[in-house]
Amino acid sequence: MATQIITADQTDTLALSHVNVPPAQTWNYLRINDIAFDVPTPHFVGDVYARLPQLFGKLECGIGDEAVSWMEHASGDARYVEVRASEPQTVYVDIDSSKTEVHDTGVLVRAGASATIVTCAHGEQGGTSSSLLRVIAERDARVSIVEIVACGEGQQHLDAIGIEAAEGARIEMRQYALGGAKVALGLCCNLAGASSRFVLDTRYLAVGSDVLDVNHVVRQRGRSTRADIVTTGILADAARKTMRETIDLIHGAKFAEGSEIETVLVTGDDVVNKTLPVILCDEEDVAGNHGASIGAISPEQLDFMRSRGLSEDEAERLFVRAMFDDAVIHANGAETRTAVLNRAETVLGADVARDMAEVLGFDTEEA
Amino acid sequence: MAETTDTTRKKSQVADINRSLYDFKMSEEGYERYADGLSTDIVRAISDKKDEPEWMLELRLKALAAYEEMEMPANWGPSIEMLDLNHISAYVSPKTKQASSWDDVPEDIKNTFERLGIPEAERESLAGVGAQYDSEIVYHNMREEVADQGVIYTTIEDALHDPELEPIVHEYFGTLIPMRDHKFAALHYAVWSGGSFVYVPEGVTLPYPLQSYFRLNAQGAGQFEHTLIIVEPGADLHFIEGCSAPKYYEANLHAGAVELFVKDHAKLRYSTIENWSKNMFNLNTKRATVGADSIMEWVSGSFGSHVSYLYPTTFLQGARSSCEFTGITFAGATQDLDTGCKVILNGPDTTASVDTKSISKDGGINTFRSSIVVGRRADRACATVSCASLMLDDISRSDTIPAMDVRNGSASVGHEATIGRISDDTILYLMSRGCSEGEARTMVVNGFADPVSKELPMEYAIEMNNLIKLEMEGAIG
Amino acid sequence: MSDQLLIIAGLSAGTEDKPILHNIDLTVGAGETHVLMGPNGAGKSTLGHVIMGDPIYQVTDGTITFDGQDVTDLGADKRSLAGIFLSYQAPVEVPGVPLYSFLRTICQMRPELKTTARKFRERVGKIADQLDIDQNFLTRELNVGFSGGEKKKIEMLQLLLLRPKLAILDETDSGLDVDALSIVSRGIEAYRKECDGALLMITHNTRILERLTVDRTHVMVHGNLVADGPASLIDDIDAHGFARFEDALAEKAEA
Repeated sequence: MATQIITADQTDTLALSHVNVPPAQTWNYLRINDIAFDVPTPHFVGDVYARLPQLFGKLECGIGDEAVSWMEHASGDARYVEVRASEPQTVYVDIDSSKTEVHDTGVLVRAGASATIVTCAHGEQGGTSSSLLRVIAERDARVSIVEIVACGEGQQHLDAIGIEAAEGARIEMRQYALGGAKVALGLCCNLAGASSRFVLDTRYLAVGSDVLDVNHVVRQRGRSTRADIVTTGILADAARKTMRETIDLIHGAKFAEGSEIETVLVTGDDVVNKTLPVILCDEEDVAGNHGASIGAISPEQLDFMRSRGLSEDEAERLFVRAMFDDAVIHANGAETRTAVLNRAETVLGADVARDMAEVLGFDTEEA
Repeated sequence: MAETTDTTRKKSQVADINRSLYDFKMSEEGYERYADGLSTDIVRAISDKKDEPEWMLELRLKALAAYEEMEMPANWGPSIEMLDLNHISAYVSPKTKQASSWDDVPEDIKNTFERLGIPEAERESLAGVGAQYDSEIVYHNMREEVADQGVIYTTIEDALHDPELEPIVHEYFGTLIPMRDHKFAALHYAVWSGGSFVYVPEGVTLPYPLQSYFRLNAQGAGQFEHTLIIVEPGADLHFIEGCSAPKYYEANLHAGAVELFVKDHAKLRYSTIENWSKNMFNLNTKRATVGADSIMEWVSGSFGSHVSYLYPTTFLQGARSSCEFTGITFAGATQDLDTGCKVILNGPDTTASVDTKSISKDGGINTFRSSIVVGRRADRACATVSCASLMLDDISRSDTIPAMDVRNGSASVGHEATIGRISDDTILYLMSRGCSEGEARTMVVNGFADPVSKELPMEYAIEMNNLIKLEMEGAIG
Repeated sequence: MSDQLLIIAGLSAGTEDKPILHNIDLTVGAGETHVLMGPNGAGKSTLGHVIMGDPIYQVTDGTITFDGQDVTDLGADKRSLAGIFLSYQAPVEVPGVPLYSFLRTICQMRPELKTTARKFRERVGKIADQLDIDQNFLTRELNVGFSGGEKKKIEMLQLLLLRPKLAILDETDSGLDVDALSIVSRGIEAYRKECDGALLMITHNTRILERLTVDRTHVMVHGNLVADGPASLIDDIDAHGFARFEDALAEKAEA
């Protein structure tokens, strides 16, 4: 299902020059319009691929066609899952970054069906891994997605998600970017059907000299669609982050509402924090909102936490731990939890990681 | 003449206004007009006519080379394909000398400015006025008491011929907006003509604003004025800029440049009411650098032009300097207006506050584009951006593209944007109190624009309300 | 005086531009229950926040001594660790921080409460049950999307968990329905019994006091403490309101 695309002697690389390009761009000198990746050139063994049904090929994935095409070739194989209303399913995609795996997954959630999809990229060292997940949610389908990227130092990871939601479909997603030297998260949700809904809760932590590059796109095509994106992030040391969020209210999407909020806590002196929150509006009777706050913990929060005994430093540490706690709480599966706890151990130390597992009651669990 | 005065007076009443206020043309007969397109010859001819120092000619020629070499960004912004530089005359000049009394201004040009209310405003509320007609300044005057304080308000051309001012122009001109900044900056430097030079000496506060008015009358022409303002330490100036042009069926181009130098403990407010006609390509560049403990305020109302690229830029270099930007953009039929601002916070404890509104109707396209960049040294810098967009129908468009790049951990940056429509409840409420739907909508839009208009001097606030009313009238059949 | 837990002497405080509290003297002994009453805007909440060390307010005169230590210049975090607890009228929402992470962190800060994760979980579970708090609240973000009543319950949960020597409950009863009110009362009783801590109740509602043995009642008007009395003062105020205190203060000012 997943192909290991790099071998010890393979050194050819391919340049992906326009990854995570947002629908509306701005001044090029800001260097916020895209990011470039050097990825291993795919090895072909024969030329027969198991492809996903062709309707998946039409999905926009946020990360861009160039990267998607590379992922399709590099994976060499694809996994197709169909979820029927009679049988709710949980689909796990486990990406071992240390083995430089590339996964291509397509999930078709039939009308009225419920699916949970968990993707988790994890590993300790070196290499480029990738996951391409495409989801088609038919009428009134319920889809819950948890995406965890908990890669280690020196690792490069590209994660792309394309979603299409038909009338009444509801997509709830939690996205955790907890580590990796250079990580791209591309996501596009196409709210095609009337009253379809997308809720995205993104959490990120970037430390050291990590580079995190995110492109979230929501196309609101259907009437009365709703999108709510909430992003909470922490940037430490000399981490570099670019967050692009686009809500595209397309002509015809009457009564649509889209909102995005990002809160960033910056604790490092050499952090580069770029944000491009875009609202595109081609319809009258809609509401688009965006809010962002970048900087320290808010004075109200800090005063409150002080009154419970925490200094500012301790409050900052609490925010980091809380991000891992929250990921463990929502990880949905022992293997995923282990991946998060392993990453927590690297960032916060073994004692804290153990304490987290014990407090949350996962200490006796076998991954 | 009686009729003209009438129109002028009506300007101050919200009711009963018509487009003819801005949309009248004067004959170009007898004007000096250079051939369309751009060439070394044309650039040399402009320089020759102005009898410029050698360095300025060199700068022009270098800029022309840069212009020919540079490309437009292909990945963003409204299309300017319709703009054919080969059909734009870079220099059109009325056959008149610059006057310092309106009586010496030729009748048709004087009528133009009378209709726009400039002499009246000068009498009532301004410290000085400059009026540019096509490529040249036709009128320049400043109150004596202001001149006595050492304030200089003249054209750059005149400053270049003054042995005391020439070195100042040489020192500052073109240093804030580099000619290679973008393609139209290069074009500007190659063919610039007209504009203002303002110098406010240390510690001087001007009691009234200075105003420059730019009128582009000639068809198929370009206006490339350069404004250079230096506010010395402790000084305080309010500068107002107005622009308009009649409507033609071929493209006009405005590629002006504004360079503002605000020294320590100083303050500059720069207000613009821009009402170019809807065949205008407005590719203007404005930039300010601000010293310690100083304040830069921008007030900007953009109503006209076919295509605009306009992003006043502020470099907050000095500690505790601040920038306030208040703007409104109204995009109606056939308009594609890409406006916003850029603020670069470099000094510690600097603050920036950006508050913009946009209104889109009749298929107009509004793009709010901004960037807030907080540099590494800008400890405790604080920036807030707030933009609100109003959609008046379902064939228009409004995009909000704000970028932020923050490189200091102690900085705080906040941003909020909303896009929406006038709620039916509000309209119904106002109608239930006896307003027609049209009046109700105009009232709401005026209220929406209020934060901007209250930043303007009274006459300009009234003018802005009139412009809104004018634009709104088209909206309701 | 060594048995006094909190001694406020000659305290004046306010915001940068406005003095609020004038020359306040107040003592609370260990384990005592005091009630602070007064009309709206009298400065009662301000006093609570000043005792906690809220940086919005500046002390312009006087001292606050807690447990034998002058805390006037200490930050709120140090006062909290010393054993002062203030329940907020409107607890702050902290997105991104699950309640569990928060509770664990604030407990582990304190040597007297430091314990294994397992014991901690048991303790939290027990207190949550006591306060009718659903266990799944523990994995939700702190106060985010909680109703007013839920927020107050979470404040009580922290009170019982931290076992402070002095709890200042700022209008803990306001805006609660009958059920929530009875749970909060239960929490206050539990605190008195289990922790043997002192209590300073800021309230206008006397109902919540019915189940408590009140040692002392204080009345605040316009930032001044104008009366001090036994528990019976509460009934008096219930019957006659604050008018006579306000009049007395006005007369005093004229004199």
